[in-house]
Amino acid sequence: MKERSVIHFNVADFAVSVERVVDSGLRQCPLIIAPLQAARAVVYDMSEEAFRDGVRKGMALRRATKICRGATVLAPRPALYQKAMTAFLKEVLNYSPLIESGFADGHLFVDVTGTHRLHGPPPDIGLRIRRHVRTHLGINPIWTLGTSKLVSKVASRLVKPVGEYIVSPGDEALFLAPLPVALLPGLTRQELRKLEEFHLTTVGALAGLSRQQLMVPFGSRSDYLHDISQGIDDSVVSTSSLTTTQTVDCEQSFADDTNDRQEIEAVITDLASRAGQCLRSRRQVARRVGIWLRYSDGSHVVRQASRRVGSNSDFVLHNLALSALQRAWTKRIRLRSCRLVYDRLHKQSPQLLLFPDKGVRERRQEKLLGAMDTIRNRFGHQLISIGSRSSIAGDVRSTIH
Amino acid sequence: MKASPGKVDIIIPAGPKMAGASHQCTLYVGTCGYSYTEWIDSGFYPANTKNSAMLGLYSRCFSVVELNYTWYQMARADAVARMVDRAPEHLLFAAKLTRTMTHERAADWREQLVLYCQGIAPLKKRLVAVLVQLPPDFHRTIDNRNYLAALLDGLQEFPIAVEFRHVSWAVDSVFAELERRKVSLVTVDEPELPGLFPSLDIVTNPALFYVRFHGRNSTGWRSGNMQKKFNYDYSEEELHSWTETYIRPMAARADCGMLFFNNHVRAQAPRNAQKLVRVFAAGKRSLV
Repeated sequence: MKERSVIHFNVADFAVSVERVVDSGLRQCPLIIAPLQAARAVVYDMSEEAFRDGVRKGMALRRATKICRGATVLAPRPALYQKAMTAFLKEVLNYSPLIESGFADGHLFVDVTGTHRLHGPPPDIGLRIRRHVRTHLGINPIWTLGTSKLVSKVASRLVKPVGEYIVSPGDEALFLAPLPVALLPGLTRQELRKLEEFHLTTVGALAGLSRQQLMVPFGSRSDYLHDISQGIDDSVVSTSSLTTTQTVDCEQSFADDTNDRQEIEAVITDLASRAGQCLRSRRQVARRVGIWLRYSDGSHVVRQASRRVGSNSDFVLHNLALSALQRAWTKRIRLRSCRLVYDRLHKQSPQLLLFPDKGVRERRQEKLLGAMDTIRNRFGHQLISIGSRSSIAGDVRSTIH
Repeated sequence: MKASPGKVDIIIPAGPKMAGASHQCTLYVGTCGYSYTEWIDSGFYPANTKNSAMLGLYSRCFSVVELNYTWYQMARADAVARMVDRAPEHLLFAAKLTRTMTHERAADWREQLVLYCQGIAPLKKRLVAVLVQLPPDFHRTIDNRNYLAALLDGLQEFPIAVEFRHVSWAVDSVFAELERRKVSLVTVDEPELPGLFPSLDIVTNPALFYVRFHGRNSTGWRSGNMQKKFNYDYSEEELHSWTETYIRPMAARADCGMLFFNNHVRAQAPRNAQKLVRVFAAGKRSLV
């Protein structure tokens, strides 16, 4: 198998970095990002200075401001972070199409295997991208290079908040051996506790055990543990998060945080309707929806729902989104924003069926939606809507890719 | 297989101005870096060569290599020690100084320098020089002169070679100071573009002269893309001419010379290095 070259970019404290680009005055002081009006707000992100004072993500804001008294507190702006992430991604796309990104978190895996004739050696690509991003976007990502996502990810944990690390091919196991097991990604708290009970504190100690030995305490996870301890990771850099040209993405931020189910369902009706209009205009259908619920405390929940047959009907897309909402509805905390991403898109078949499979109701709905689209295209989306949709206050961001 | 491939002893006969016997200078020819996947595609390394096997294969052709990964990241003693352990005994190393002390000077450069010295310590007696490559925007200002002096002081436990990229450093006082410090001035071959440091046959350290062949791709030099910048194939005539104009005069004044090719694109660097060895071999026959 050909040796891979995977670069991991990581902008430490991404939200803070973006806020500091927008307002350079924030560079001089410790910064905490947290919802300002939420009663039990927790820290969404914090600067290195605040971190050094003891502030951590998820910590109650009241406690964080006591620990770090001089800190400036700002409300999170997910849309801004997403915009910065998109710009970052755009820079990286110049070097490789194989990019795996998180959602506005400043993390990117880039597989640059085989690009050497075009762009030169992988370390040079890492350095050049960092320079470009720093010059054009003002953010300074860590970059690390390894033969897998595992190795480059662990390396980036060693050089936070700034720096670079190149792990030479063939050195993976030796590189990992002296490191604490807690640096390995993908381990659960229970697994870490169990490793500690066995005094397996370093990756090297874990690597010294065979698959069979690991099987006894870790069962089906033994293979995974064995592989990562040896630096073996065949997982590919997945571009699924990147296929934005194959998604329809709509988001609404609420003017006031809410956990009123009726209000949220009304928003979903509106977002599904916007997505439906977009899909129909592109003659596409979607088979899956992902729902992102962002809470006042900075946490978020992502769930999805899919169907076998694609559709672009507002009614079907709405029901699909409600199924996803049902799965995501796990907290009583108020919501800050709601986002729907429709994907698994494909072209709507132009071929009419000999015997129409739609009932009278569906055909009527189709005609109705066609008429609504005509009106909306001419007078705007807000002019006409489906009856269940209530008046919505807030910032609607509809990103149709 | 030769014991020290890429190593050439040249004898400079005593000329009318040179008193006494002829002078011998040992030349080592190598490349800047050895770990390029592109060199597999170009046939220098066999197909399917693993990265970890490259140094072993490289050392079948050459006896010195310039480590350039130490420019991208701080040298780490454990990784350097592993590499030295795997390298054949005849292989010597030059190590490039990390960019945080040259191109992207950090505020904590003194701490970085300490880390660097610790990082390259495993190279020990196999280190021929620390290469301090200074960027084109590093002009000869008072601040930069002071900085360079402090940097050289910090590296004084090692043999040092300094490569300037800006023409403002091409003055006698700089050469005299390097001579006083026994620091080698890097002689470069590069495109003839305004502002670049010129090719000079000056020897500031009689123990070692240091040459870097960057190629003469003037259109790609400022493209910002290494694949264009270092895409150049030296002809035998060019190497022969360069040898006569620069290498022989410098060899007459030094005991040892390190010659590195940086035109890594499509494995032109190792091929040109081998070509230069052949040029020396041909010249040797005609001289001795």
